Amino acid sequence: MTDTPATILVVDDEAHITRVVSLKLRNAGYTVLTAADGEEGLEAALQHTPDLIITDMQMPYLTGLEMARRLREHRATAGIPLIMLTARGFGLTPDDMAETNIKKMMSKPFGPRDLLRQVEVCLGGGEDEAAEAA
Amino acid sequence: MKPGTWILISSAAVCGAAAYVAPWLLGVVGAPARPVFVVGLAAVAAGLGMLPVAWLLNRDAARMTRTAARLAAGDDAPVPSVSALSRPAAGALRRVMEQADQDAQVVMARMRELEIRVRISDGDRARFETALEALPDPAIVTNGYGELQLINAAAAGLLGLDREADLSRSVVEAIGDESIRRLLIEAHESGSATHRARAEIAVRAADAPPDAPGRAHEAIVATLPDPTEPIGGAVLILRDIAREREISQMKSEFVSKASHELRTPLSSINAYVEMLLDGEAEDPEAQREFYTVIKSEADRLGRLIDNMLNISRIEAGITKAKHEDVDFVKAAQHAVSVIEPQARLKDISIRIKSGSLLYSAEADRDMLHQVLLNLLSNAVKYTPENGRVTVTIENDETTGSVMTTVADTGLGIPPDAIDHVFDKFYRIENYKRVAKGTGLGLNLVKHIVETVHGGQITVTSELGMGSKFTFLIPYTRDGARRLAA
Repeated sequence: MTDTPATILVVDDEAHITRVVSLKLRNAGYTVLTAADGEEGLEAALQHTPDLIITDMQMPYLTGLEMARRLREHRATAGIPLIMLTARGFGLTPDDMAETNIKKMMSKPFGPRDLLRQVEVCLGGGEDEAAEAA
Repeated sequence: MKPGTWILISSAAVCGAAAYVAPWLLGVVGAPARPVFVVGLAAVAAGLGMLPVAWLLNRDAARMTRTAARLAAGDDAPVPSVSALSRPAAGALRRVMEQADQDAQVVMARMRELEIRVRISDGDRARFETALEALPDPAIVTNGYGELQLINAAAAGLLGLDREADLSRSVVEAIGDESIRRLLIEAHESGSATHRARAEIAVRAADAPPDAPGRAHEAIVATLPDPTEPIGGAVLILRDIAREREISQMKSEFVSKASHELRTPLSSINAYVEMLLDGEAEDPEAQREFYTVIKSEADRLGRLIDNMLNISRIEAGITKAKHEDVDFVKAAQHAVSVIEPQARLKDISIRIKSGSLLYSAEADRDMLHQVLLNLLSNAVKYTPENGRVTVTIENDETTGSVMTTVADTGLGIPPDAIDHVFDKFYRIENYKRVAKGTGLGLNLVKHIVETVHGGQITVTSELGMGSKFTFLIPYTRDGARRLAA
């Protein structure tokens, strides 16, 4: 890891959630980008290639899972690890996990503290995975 | 020459000869003298003497021939009695007929017994048929040879069977549906009178288009007992479970959607409280912002729970609606006064239009207030700044109801969404960012207007021009029953 703080993209259609997650991550020293739905999230990811993406599952235009699949199609974004937040209380199938780069599922309601811990884990192992994929 | 005439001549000749030879054979007379004369005389005398006998026998034979011919032709003219016959014929015939009569008695007794058995079995069959006919579910019965023996109306309709022409056709030929045919064949091949099977199968109705998917059915098949054969056939009953499935799917979707909707505000509350506890919002302004978010999300949670409870109470039929005379203009004024502060923030004007008449109907005042509030709040939410919201109240004499219209100059509803706006948790995807909502407000409105008050609600909209919600509340509850009918 270099001294440059990692960039994290937070995608959620609930403004309150993006607001609180951003604040938690910024307080921890990360650079944070936000997007309000899957489509915006995909655009932001392609444009900024963040180090990690935290996304909601149920969103208008493009769901979190669909966005994760699309990210896999682009060389620049294929290796970005994702943390998926879901309010549905359902698990992703092994297929869903295999065809995306989703590293962790967290169900809502979640605690910002837990989320930060998962972010640190993902960024630690995420870089190795990205190197392997490249 | 008729056979009768031959009998007459030959019997006269035989009798004449007998009359001549008999005395001589018995030694009553001596050796014949002048035999030619005597023979001639005796023959003539005997022949003449036998004539009546021969005539009688001939008549009996002719009668019997005619009767036999008539009987053979199926004519049921009375059979001549034995007493009508001559004595010699009658003697023999009587003995034969007495024997025949005894045999006939035995046969008749057997037939009576069979007839009773058939009658009992017909009665059982009629009861069985009536019972199956009364079933709303399709039912078919086969006999021991695997042929269709009974098809009730529902089965004929579903499987496209002809209740006359398809009877006695084999299951293999007559039943087009693969799964049903297989179940029946398996039942027959089991050879067991206690075979029972149950399967969930998709059945496509005979009148459905060939590419239509089948409807889910539960099929129950059982073999029928028989006193002489291993099985007496099988009965198959189908039950349409597609609606049940739909309801259960709707319920699980409701729970899933409800849990999503409940978890979302809960998630915000949880995250903001934790941030406050962890001292991540230190300046008072940030703290105030956090408390405001927590309060508004807690309110949202409360509204959501209230709406869900109200809807489920109405659906379960346990809502006790009050019947008061409600003045709709006053009710509209009250609702507008609640929404006005929200409207003022966006410079939206709200107007109430009504004539000078009294517009009142039997309604539950609080519930009506909820309806007006939800419609007005939606109108304000989805109308851009400087827009207009108009509430119109009229009497609709055709339906005997008060007609209230809430119209706005807002975003309008896309045509593909207009049929869904009253669905539970339905929200127009593109408008989710325009305003917050539970997706239950309009569903509750529809329930209050239609289920509770027996009224009607409709919506028309033009994209980019605005939406118009119109609801009718019957003047009286009797009127509501008529409107519903």
